[in-house]
Amino acid sequence: MAIDDPDMMKREMKELQIRLAEAEDIIRAIREGEIDALVVRHPKREEEVFTIEGGTESYRTFMEAMDIGAAALSPSGQVLYVNSALSRLLGVERETLQREGLTAGLDAAAMQALEALVKRAHNGRSHCEIRFSQNGDERHALIHAAPLELWQDRGVALSFTDITHRMAMEQAQQSEQMALAILASAAEAVIVCNPLGIITHANDAVSAITAEPVTGKPFAEVLDLAIKAGGTEMQGGEFIRHVIRGHAYQGVEATAPSAPSARDLLISAAPLKVSGEKIAGCVVTLVDLTRRKIVEKQQLLLMGELDHRVKNTLALVLSISNRTASTEETIEGFRSAFSGRMRALAATHNTLAERSWSSIPMRDIVLTEVQPFEPNIKAKLTIGGTDFQLLPRAAIAVGLIVHELATNAVKYGALSSEAGHIEVSLRHDYDKPYAELSWVETGGPHVLPPTRTGFGRTVITRSMQYSPHGGADLDYRPEGVSCTIRIPAEDVV
Amino acid sequence: MTDMTDEPQQNTPTKLVLYVAGQTPKSMAAIRNLERICREKLPGRFAVEVIDLRQQPHLAREHGIVAIPTLVRELPTPIRKIIGDLSDSEKVLVHLSVGD
Repeated sequence: MAIDDPDMMKREMKELQIRLAEAEDIIRAIREGEIDALVVRHPKREEEVFTIEGGTESYRTFMEAMDIGAAALSPSGQVLYVNSALSRLLGVERETLQREGLTAGLDAAAMQALEALVKRAHNGRSHCEIRFSQNGDERHALIHAAPLELWQDRGVALSFTDITHRMAMEQAQQSEQMALAILASAAEAVIVCNPLGIITHANDAVSAITAEPVTGKPFAEVLDLAIKAGGTEMQGGEFIRHVIRGHAYQGVEATAPSAPSARDLLISAAPLKVSGEKIAGCVVTLVDLTRRKIVEKQQLLLMGELDHRVKNTLALVLSISNRTASTEETIEGFRSAFSGRMRALAATHNTLAERSWSSIPMRDIVLTEVQPFEPNIKAKLTIGGTDFQLLPRAAIAVGLIVHELATNAVKYGALSSEAGHIEVSLRHDYDKPYAELSWVETGGPHVLPPTRTGFGRTVITRSMQYSPHGGADLDYRPEGVSCTIRIPAEDVV
Repeated sequence: MTDMTDEPQQNTPTKLVLYVAGQTPKSMAAIRNLERICREKLPGRFAVEVIDLRQQPHLAREHGIVAIPTLVRELPTPIRKIIGDLSDSEKVLVHLSVGD
């Protein structure tokens, strides 16, 4: 430096000031993060550029290290960059994707969704889900797109997250929820056990078999069952072991002696195979047969009762037929008397059948038997007293008696004249071993006692004699027939 | 090298040299900011040459470039350097002596 030259010194000072300002500016720029690369002068080699942070290579290294698929698209949609994770996700070589675009790895529907996403992304961040095929396997991806500042224009940055596993998990979860809902909604008791015979699932219907909570406990411990399978009887624990070893049972009967309500059961069980052939436990369904068993017993009783009644009825019909034939002198007379008696019998049967063969009010029997003979029944017949109900045996007999009384009244008595009237009164004194029906005719023609005993009279006087407390007294009074029928108390409800 | 010359005008545009390091974020930001300033504030006044020092590191020596990005205005003398990503438009315009 030539200190004797003031101009040169001034220039040197100016240059030093500029260099100092430049150095200070560099430090400021570094401190404020305005630069991200420095030029380093190597003593032996030429200058090298040292990236301080976030250089392209660093970004690319970072993008390559990520599991998330990434791609950058130019404003025109051309692929600028694809990372290897996206290449793996789509199952397509990176060079192919860069050369042919993402269409090389996505089908038409996925590309349509992607193109719509890219269009939206020019205005801001957006995302969509796509489904695509990778080597024949269906896969799902969530794509996020964001605007990407490029030279003089905007491109789009894409990130692809493989959500196949998540979707599969969601579907599995939905399937499990559906299975649990089906299990809970099943009308039959359903129990699922693990390979150790511990109950893992049980629906509400199981509470009919055992009152205590069953989940988490061994099947054999909480369900006291005697199962009849394959000709032998086994307990619940042994049964479950058979099933878990691979044996399936279909509709075997079992009893649960200590069950709160369902004591007769029909059990089906099969090994539980969640995937492949491996047995993951077993599923047992238990159908409550208790009500069915009660119904079966009722049906058996009814069939026996029906058989008994049919035999009785046939014997009665045969007897009526024989006795009618022996007392009627003409075929026409037989036909009329026999069919009338059959109708009387059928009418009582019908009324009993309508009431499930339980009991019939006395009043209904009288009306049923008299009505066919007298259309103006309200004017000709009065029923008084306290009504009572008859069991089938007495009802059939009383029906036949009333039929014979009505037939006689039509032919010779109160129902054969305009002024005739029948007064029926019912009485049941609980201290007597019988109930009474009193039939009194008035206003009819003068009555003469019959010269011979016909079958009708036999029916009237003997039908109730099946019991020592039953019977009937028939009186041919001149002013009208009267009859008192005693119905045994054991047949009165 | 990339030529960012604006549309030609009557006067010869002043040459600016922008030193960058590949596609680092600050380099890309500097290119974008300079392009915007030139387009919006100084149309036709400057011809910009972009030098990628990753590709040609030896060119750093000519203007003694240490930090990247750096914008250099060679003429008129004295030479002016603007260090950073040129995000401060006012500072850039002052350094380029616009409005003098």
